[in-house]
Amino acid sequence: MPEPTIVHPDGMGYIPHAAGFVANEGPKLVSGRFPYEDSYTLECALATGAYTGLRAALGRTPADVHTEVRDATLLGRGGAGFPAGVKWGFCPEDVWPRYLVVNGDESEPGTYKDRLLMERDPHQLIEGCLIACYALGLSQCFLYVRGEMALAQERLAVALNDAYEAGYVGRNICDTDFSVDITLHWGAGAYIVGEETALIESLEGNRGMPRLKPPYFPAAIGLYGRPTIVNNVETLANLPWILEHGAIAYRGYGSEASPGTRLFAVSGHVVRPGVYEVEQGVTTYRDLIYGPNFCRGIREGNELKAFIPGGASAPWFFEEQLDLSLEARDIGAAGSMLGSGAIVVMDHTTDVVKACLRIVRFFARESCGKCSPCREGTSWEEKILERILDGHGRPSDLDLLLDIGDNISPGPYPVAAHGAAGLDAVPFPPLQTTICPLGPSSVAPITSALRRFRSEFEARITRHEGIPVRSAPVVDGDPA
Amino acid sequence: MNDVGQSVEITVDGRTVLANPGELLIDACERTGTYIPRFCHHPRMRPVGMCRSCLVEVDTGRGPALQASCMLECSPGMQVDTESERTRKAQAGVLEFLLVNHPLDCPVCDKGGECPLQDQTMAFGPGESRFVEEKRHFEKPIPVNDNVFLDRERCILCDRCTRFADEVAGDALIHFQGRGSDTEVNTFPDEPFSSYFSGNTVQVCPVGALTAAPYRFKARPWDLEEVESTSVVDSVGSRIAVQSSRDCVLRFQGVDADAVNWGWLCDKERFIFEAYDHEDRLGTPLLRGDDGDLAPTGWGEALAAAAAALTDVDPDRIAVLGGARLTNESQYAWTKFAKGVLGTDHVDAQLGDGLPADFVLGLPRATIDEACTPGGIIVLLGPDPKEELGSLYLRLRHAVVHDGATLIELTPRATGLTPFADHSLRVRPGEAVDVVRAMFGEGGTAPIGGVTVEEAQAVGAIVSGAAVGQNRPVTVLLGRQSLAEAPGTVVDAALVLHDWIADVRFLSMLRRGNVHGALDLGLAPGLLPGRVGLDEGRPRFAAAWPTTPATKGRDALESLRAAADGEVDVLVLLGADVLTDVPDHDLARRGLEGAGTVIALDLFATPTVAAADVVLPATAPTETDGTVTNLEGRVSIVARKVTPPGTARPDWMIAVELARRLGADLGISSPDDVWAELSVVSPIHAHIDPEALAVQAREGILVSGGPALVRPAPLEVPSHDKNSYRLVVTRSMYDCGVLTAHSRSLAGLAPVTRLAFEPTDFAALGVAEGGRIEVRGPRGNIDVVVGPDSRVTKGTAHLLFNQRGVSAGDLIEATAAVIDLTVVPV
Amino acid sequence: MGYFRGFAVTFRKLWEKRVTIPYPEQKRDKPERLHGRHVLNRYEDGMEKCIGCELCAGVCPANCIYVRGADNPPDDPVSPGERFGFVYEINYLRCIHCDLCVEACPTEAITESKLFEFSFTNRSDAVYTKDELMVDGETGRPQQLPWEDWRDGEDTHTSGWMRATSPSGSAAYVGKVSWSGELGYGIRAPEQGRSGGEANGDDEEEGS
Repeated sequence: MPEPTIVHPDGMGYIPHAAGFVANEGPKLVSGRFPYEDSYTLECALATGAYTGLRAALGRTPADVHTEVRDATLLGRGGAGFPAGVKWGFCPEDVWPRYLVVNGDESEPGTYKDRLLMERDPHQLIEGCLIACYALGLSQCFLYVRGEMALAQERLAVALNDAYEAGYVGRNICDTDFSVDITLHWGAGAYIVGEETALIESLEGNRGMPRLKPPYFPAAIGLYGRPTIVNNVETLANLPWILEHGAIAYRGYGSEASPGTRLFAVSGHVVRPGVYEVEQGVTTYRDLIYGPNFCRGIREGNELKAFIPGGASAPWFFEEQLDLSLEARDIGAAGSMLGSGAIVVMDHTTDVVKACLRIVRFFARESCGKCSPCREGTSWEEKILERILDGHGRPSDLDLLLDIGDNISPGPYPVAAHGAAGLDAVPFPPLQTTICPLGPSSVAPITSALRRFRSEFEARITRHEGIPVRSAPVVDGDPA
Repeated sequence: MNDVGQSVEITVDGRTVLANPGELLIDACERTGTYIPRFCHHPRMRPVGMCRSCLVEVDTGRGPALQASCMLECSPGMQVDTESERTRKAQAGVLEFLLVNHPLDCPVCDKGGECPLQDQTMAFGPGESRFVEEKRHFEKPIPVNDNVFLDRERCILCDRCTRFADEVAGDALIHFQGRGSDTEVNTFPDEPFSSYFSGNTVQVCPVGALTAAPYRFKARPWDLEEVESTSVVDSVGSRIAVQSSRDCVLRFQGVDADAVNWGWLCDKERFIFEAYDHEDRLGTPLLRGDDGDLAPTGWGEALAAAAAALTDVDPDRIAVLGGARLTNESQYAWTKFAKGVLGTDHVDAQLGDGLPADFVLGLPRATIDEACTPGGIIVLLGPDPKEELGSLYLRLRHAVVHDGATLIELTPRATGLTPFADHSLRVRPGEAVDVVRAMFGEGGTAPIGGVTVEEAQAVGAIVSGAAVGQNRPVTVLLGRQSLAEAPGTVVDAALVLHDWIADVRFLSMLRRGNVHGALDLGLAPGLLPGRVGLDEGRPRFAAAWPTTPATKGRDALESLRAAADGEVDVLVLLGADVLTDVPDHDLARRGLEGAGTVIALDLFATPTVAAADVVLPATAPTETDGTVTNLEGRVSIVARKVTPPGTARPDWMIAVELARRLGADLGISSPDDVWAELSVVSPIHAHIDPEALAVQAREGILVSGGPALVRPAPLEVPSHDKNSYRLVVTRSMYDCGVLTAHSRSLAGLAPVTRLAFEPTDFAALGVAEGGRIEVRGPRGNIDVVVGPDSRVTKGTAHLLFNQRGVSAGDLIEATAAVIDLTVVPV
Repeated sequence: MGYFRGFAVTFRKLWEKRVTIPYPEQKRDKPERLHGRHVLNRYEDGMEKCIGCELCAGVCPANCIYVRGADNPPDDPVSPGERFGFVYEINYLRCIHCDLCVEACPTEAITESKLFEFSFTNRSDAVYTKDELMVDGETGRPQQLPWEDWRDGEDTHTSGWMRATSPSGSAAYVGKVSWSGELGYGIRAPEQGRSGGEANGDDEEEGS
């Protein structure tokens, strides 16, 4: 296979056929196939080494493969960052059948890495599923793809058919005794289904609502009441590389606690937004936002006002948190989370009240309606913010917002330190009066913004004025 | 709920409390006197953790944290603080959230005054709301079915109604729609919430979102007076609360009797009170005058006429039919009057649609709890419990779906329980005994109808294997599977099951309100009160009764046949609408015409009453004090709440008056007197007296014991002709019965029946759905509307009894073992 | 001579203005807050205000009010909303004119006039029915029944006082119809809300 030509129409490193992906310098463990224009075809995948990880795995015992993955310390990429190898060990003994469910319902605002993985390299994902099934002795895997991702659905379906035909999926894979069926399932478009128990409910044909905890992991009781492993798309996409190159090679990237690389989707007011494959732990936010190999700074030389380090549900970071490395533990201690790897950058022209409303409105719309604090609280927050923006705010509204937040997420809410004001960070995670973290997520922008920019809210309320927003076009990932 | 295992010691607000193993924290707290607010939590449904108002601070060793107490099982050493500042703030916060979109139209709302949201906001909520924006809006009440209205604005989305529909009733026809604060409960488009149990959702709704049409705006909770009673709609004996205002019953609510109905009612039990209060109720005696018309008269004249008709009549020429809806006390009074004063034994409370009384009493009986034992085995050899015994269906469904009981069906048509059955054998009429024999390896190897011998033996292995080694109790639910089939079929099949399965128990499914009381108190041929035969019981009654019948009398069908032949001079009908309820309509008609004087006690002027000579208005259950006996033999209190219309009298009082006019004193001047006498003459009732009943009002008192098993002669069933269809006639929940027809909410729900065939059988007929064909049966040719029904078994034809459309009663011939219909070629 | 001194008072008073009046030909003005017989009010569009909630009956210490609600016919509604007062009766042999019903009423449907002079010749006259209590559908004026003795101004409603002096009320709203608007008779400016200070003042505390 010839090396693909990376097109740089604007010298930015974007690949036209992989919209939003930036082919920068650095190790490419999961995105290596992206630059090929036909990377999603079985032909291209096989020519570039697909299914060699599977063959390597099939040559070893399942327990061996499991150990390899555990040794690699492959952290879950869905948001919680739980080690996949450890999670696999939670299934109760002797309860069969059990299932693997792949969480492809990527809907955190600002995150679009899984979509790229499914659109650009479906075979890598299928291979990852097979390796996981082999390690766990499973014969049924469900691949749940978000309802709105039409292209990903189409390519996965084609890839799966091709893989079945080529003997990589189905009965007696690669002429061994190992047989797996992979079932595709399209979601109906609900953010909450990204929560693993809600995803299982949806897969069972029920309304997507989170289940009660405990059990805290569906590994004990999951899909159809059976032990179920739920893994994120990117997590599984790492498996072929790990099995091909070994855990030691994998741990050669990134830091001790967070080895390997990770896809980060940077959006907002940076010069070069996009998805980057980044070495975990050793890279800092400053590298990512200002680094010449990454986002190349804030657009038009503006000042950084705030950035969201891990998807819309994460508390915001500011200038003083820029030097934190991309390490889940450190970020948690600093008051936010690494989450799904979506970084949203806001420059000084951003109206934080509007930004808050935008995020809160998302959660209000996407609340599943199960827990009263989330269902009523998020829409109440939305209404108050709307009212403030409409010029009908009251001074008491700000404390009311914080108190509503406190009723959704009791106790001090995670928030970044504010050195100038002498305020310390409150570490992650928040407490919650709800079943799942969706409700508490809506509190994140409010507490973060009110701690730093209370005066902007007050200006809205008392003088009905806000930041004049310039109408400069925001450069998004697609140069077209 | 059961106390197996070690109690768990927890600390609640500094007090040490013993919780049962596996008990939820919210229940343990409530049991020990600490009330935690809740909306979604319901003791009879699974925890869902939806409303979050039961948050309390719990320390399980990792520091105090807010946890939803409805989802948390008590664990040793748990420290619970229900009054801490954080707990209070969280609870108040949730209540404020719930009120964000809840309209404050309490003055209009029917729930106002008995509303958990009002009460708990008063006790745990914030003083006022900080919400100043506009609340969400929905169209005000929308009907989700004919009787239940849904006001989505008031709904706080606690998941109680939807959980009930899904988990308890199995009719998941309402569910959440939309997301966020716009989430609403609704039905699926164009699919109403047509559930027999929809009224329960109104009762469990913690706000006024669901209201029932019969009670809508009728009164406020503080107007209501309440008394606890027992439903006599069917023989389950569900406990109810009768609520009235200004001498008018306005509502029945289910009461949670642990042994019986768990607080649930079917809609028929819930809304039947409308019939009791109907303007058509008989309020004055009627007497057939010289002009041949029934005319209102006084009690004196009417009783004199009745007494005159009964004076100096050969006891053998008197028959007493009906009485299955009377209270135990009235039944005893009438048995004593008929058998002890008049001296006739032609007494039958069942109207040819039940099972032989002495046979039912002789079987080893099970209680509902025993039948629903977790992990037990239930054999259904009877009618569809969902159609005939609604509350029992809910208990059975719970046992099978949630408690791991195994259900085996031997029915001629798919029932409401079929989806949950382990094995569902489709047994054609007359063949039940063959199938049961095949279960235990008797008989040949040829399939019986659609049931293969292998399948039957697989079922046999389950029931006999379970009985032998696995300590799983086997209960047979026994009742008439089809009204077009002689009772002998199920009797014979039951005897085989009785002989083959060790320790098998039977739960009778005879359906009429107090029919089991009637059997226990001798309103059946050959029986005296206390479940004894005539000869065996005669010595006991020698002192208390003037006389006892010498020989066993005729049952209802035989009496009607005798009447048709002119052998009955006086026919007494105790609330028996023979023209409607006797399966063989022709026989009923001829019997009524042939009888001499007909004396009818009834609530309504039914067609039968219209043919009577003396009509005595009786009281409805809400107007009568007394007791009833349910299908387990459980005696519980029926309480009088309102005054009867006009001068209607309790049935026992009419018996006493008639006896007095015949020169006999029954010795009964109040219902309580019956128990004094019963404790002497009936050993099985000796442990029951009014005081004991009052103490155990909720659960009632079980009557047990009975005569030895009788074995009626086996029934000869003609073999099935391939070219004919065997008729199956069953009942549905709502029919054209007099009470249903007089309940405004229920009358419209009765379906229109047509002769239904299995779809391939129907296709073979070559008629369009809804078309007409002519069929020949034992009563001659009849023109019927036909249609396909996948629940019907191949080779059979199905009709609903007592419905508009095709009249099943016109096809049934009471003497036939089975009814075979052949299609008359065009 | 002693009795002349006694007569002195008589003669002195003989020429003074009399304190008694020839009742009932002549009547005094009644106090502002007099509790007389009730009226049932209508909205400006003629709809009945009563929703049949029975709160008045519930609060009545003399048990003299009998109310029953009913489903509002959707095509020809009697009152706004789902429910209306189907039966409304007050037994004036029992009523003690305490005005608690007026305070309990959530829609200001029942108020009291100043009229208290009525006498009956039979008991059924003493039970005022809904038809008798309801104000006129055109003018909003209370109906005068044959046995009632009316004077000018006695038909105005005194409930403004009651609301203003109830625990959550404010004296600033004395004599004003509050939020609901009322049909016709002696209409007064609607008030803005209970805790908002001046009428027509700022609208900061809308709703409560």
